Amino acid sequence: MSHSVLVCDDAIFMRTMISDILAQAGFEIVGEAETGAQAVEKYRQLKPDLVTMDIVMPDMGGIDAVREIVKNDPDAKILMCSAMGQQALVVEAIQAGAKDFVVKPFQPSRVLEAVQRVLG
Amino acid sequence: MDLSQYADLFLAESREHVSACNHLLLDWERTPASAEPVSGIFRAVHTVKGMAATMGYARVADLAHRMENLLDRLRKTKGAPGGDLLQLLFRATDLLERSIGLAVAGREKDLDVATLGAELDAAAKRWGAPTGRAGRASRARVSASVPQAPPVEDSATGGRLVSITLRADAALKGGRALLVLRRAQALGAISHLSPPEQAFGAEDFDGHFSFRLDTATPAAAVERALSGAGDVESVSVVEQEAAATARAAEGAAAIVGATAERSRHIRVDLRRLDALMDLIGELVTARGRLNQLAAERRDPAVDDVAIQVSRLTGELQAEIIQARMTPVWQVFDRYPRQVRDLARQLDKQVALRVEGKEIELDRTILDELGDPLVHLLRNAVDHGIETPAERKRRGKPAEGEIVLGAVRERASVAISIADDGRGLDRRRILEKAKQEGLVDAGVETLTDDQLLRVIARPGFSTTEAVTSVSGRGVGLDVAMSKIRALGGTIEVQSEPGRGTTFVMRLPVTLAIVRALIADVGGERYALPLTYVSETVEFGAVPSTTVEGREAMVLRNRVVPLVHLRELLSTGGGTPSARRPVVVLQMGERRTGVVVDGMLGQQEIVVKGFDAPQGTLPVFSGATIMGDGVPALILDAGGLV
Repeated sequence: MSHSVLVCDDAIFMRTMISDILAQAGFEIVGEAETGAQAVEKYRQLKPDLVTMDIVMPDMGGIDAVREIVKNDPDAKILMCSAMGQQALVVEAIQAGAKDFVVKPFQPSRVLEAVQRVLG
Repeated sequence: MDLSQYADLFLAESREHVSACNHLLLDWERTPASAEPVSGIFRAVHTVKGMAATMGYARVADLAHRMENLLDRLRKTKGAPGGDLLQLLFRATDLLERSIGLAVAGREKDLDVATLGAELDAAAKRWGAPTGRAGRASRARVSASVPQAPPVEDSATGGRLVSITLRADAALKGGRALLVLRRAQALGAISHLSPPEQAFGAEDFDGHFSFRLDTATPAAAVERALSGAGDVESVSVVEQEAAATARAAEGAAAIVGATAERSRHIRVDLRRLDALMDLIGELVTARGRLNQLAAERRDPAVDDVAIQVSRLTGELQAEIIQARMTPVWQVFDRYPRQVRDLARQLDKQVALRVEGKEIELDRTILDELGDPLVHLLRNAVDHGIETPAERKRRGKPAEGEIVLGAVRERASVAISIADDGRGLDRRRILEKAKQEGLVDAGVETLTDDQLLRVIARPGFSTTEAVTSVSGRGVGLDVAMSKIRALGGTIEVQSEPGRGTTFVMRLPVTLAIVRALIADVGGERYALPLTYVSETVEFGAVPSTTVEGREAMVLRNRVVPLVHLRELLSTGGGTPSARRPVVVLQMGERRTGVVVDGMLGQQEIVVKGFDAPQGTLPVFSGATIMGDGVPALILDAGGLV
């Protein structure tokens, strides 16, 4: 059975790219979210196996969304999508409960490695 | 991975973000104390940076990075920006937009971001200390790669000293270190972490760290578990006990192929939609021919097919037209910034308010609308809105307002530009009109309609009104003919001291319109139904003469008449006495057009029409009739 994924990023470009990378590797993209608030709501509805989460998003950022999701589901598997230079934010996200992170610009192989680690 | 397939998406989305930046900068300029604009700009620039880096557009990403840097500090210091700083950000946004275009065009080399980049860096330096310095003090300890705390714990606790080195090229080493730590914590208790966890958040964390791990798990298994966190160069576990059984490594999860459900929206190249529209146009023409043939054959089977084809074509056409509909904000969104820049240049204060952003128009009409709108907005800023001093003298707020609005009407969309400025100078315009012989010397006042006709004459301008930016009248004729070419109309209302409003009415869609087909001297002409208010029989209503022009009296209103036979100088036999009059209405104005006969209504495909020199300015285009013979489309704007 393929794993279901919720892709959260405020840029369609990024969502498309992550979705493409994961879909080509056989994952099922079950939903997309543009804001942290949407991510929390869609997580509740869709219960995906994996969430990819951008850090900087309007209307509740990615880190707050991680906190919110993990509060309700401590086993949530969340992969942060970070830009270079966001060390402090990534650390904060992991402290909040994110399971791993990838750094933009994405290399498909690295994204898939991280996904494998998260899904363990 | 082939990135070129994402270039269009990158371009489209980046432009949206740049547009958002412009809007937010304007907001910020207006309310410098507000914290929201800078956060929004930061997010937009940050997103562009991420996308550009992914596309491999290094210079774009670099510029965005420098902007982001500055914005981050501004965001954190919560300082109100000065004019210079805003100007710098405006310029940076412009350069970002240009660089995005160049990068996608494959000409990133031509881009010079160094100069402005240096300015951004300098500004960032002025605005507070760089972020991420909190961990600086820990550097010495970290690079030593030995625990800062003395290893007093004895092995009786089962604690083992674990030292980790992350790969030199690993990104965000602090985050990675924390992940390694989380894995270790799953195996047992951790103590004596060096450097402390807070240091992981610092930019200069170098990827070496160590801790004591109290676990019964064999060293080899610890090594394996921690190495699995990603980007780990080496793990050393110092202990006495021998390695025990190895745990099975994580098996790669079997991944089966599945069709992923994707977003319900896709982006389509506009040229595809244009091509589709052209094809539908051909299809509509062919349908007309089919209907005509079916009518001649009187064969029920052929009739059935013709009806079915008609229906399907109609539905297809409606779908395509809908797909081409674009909300006006896609064009309107760039104006607040342009108006601001222009106002600055003229030392005026002007706010542009946009209303009805979601109203939709055909993409082609919307694109063509850009120039006329810019022209009218320029005029409004330059001539409409007074200087702050003059406004104060007149008891108005120093900041003038221009409202750009879109409203859906029956089959058209009305777009208005209303300023609260000084209004058109009727006296001066009347004087000028008299001088040029545009109106009789005896005329006392100009109506709004006459006003428009006068100021829209090519080259018309009152001497006082000419500046480097725009001259009222200069180019208004160009804007008007553009609107007319789109099948639209333009009206003006102006009140001294209160402002001027231009209203443009445009068909919602351009390519296919319903039209009345009229016969004049044996030729067919199409009259778009949008502007036909009714038809009456010539001679059945009382006629009169107004200012030497023939007119009829329709429900107590005088409607001037135009005989198309005379206007078009067509031949043909004597027309019958009973002829129809098509009443065209445009805003408040009406004109009766006398034709020889009516041939019915049908949908016509509007084709562009380059009128030869000397053609009467009463045609807006041409169409091909069902029998393959072309017919000219009469321009209501030229007749009314």
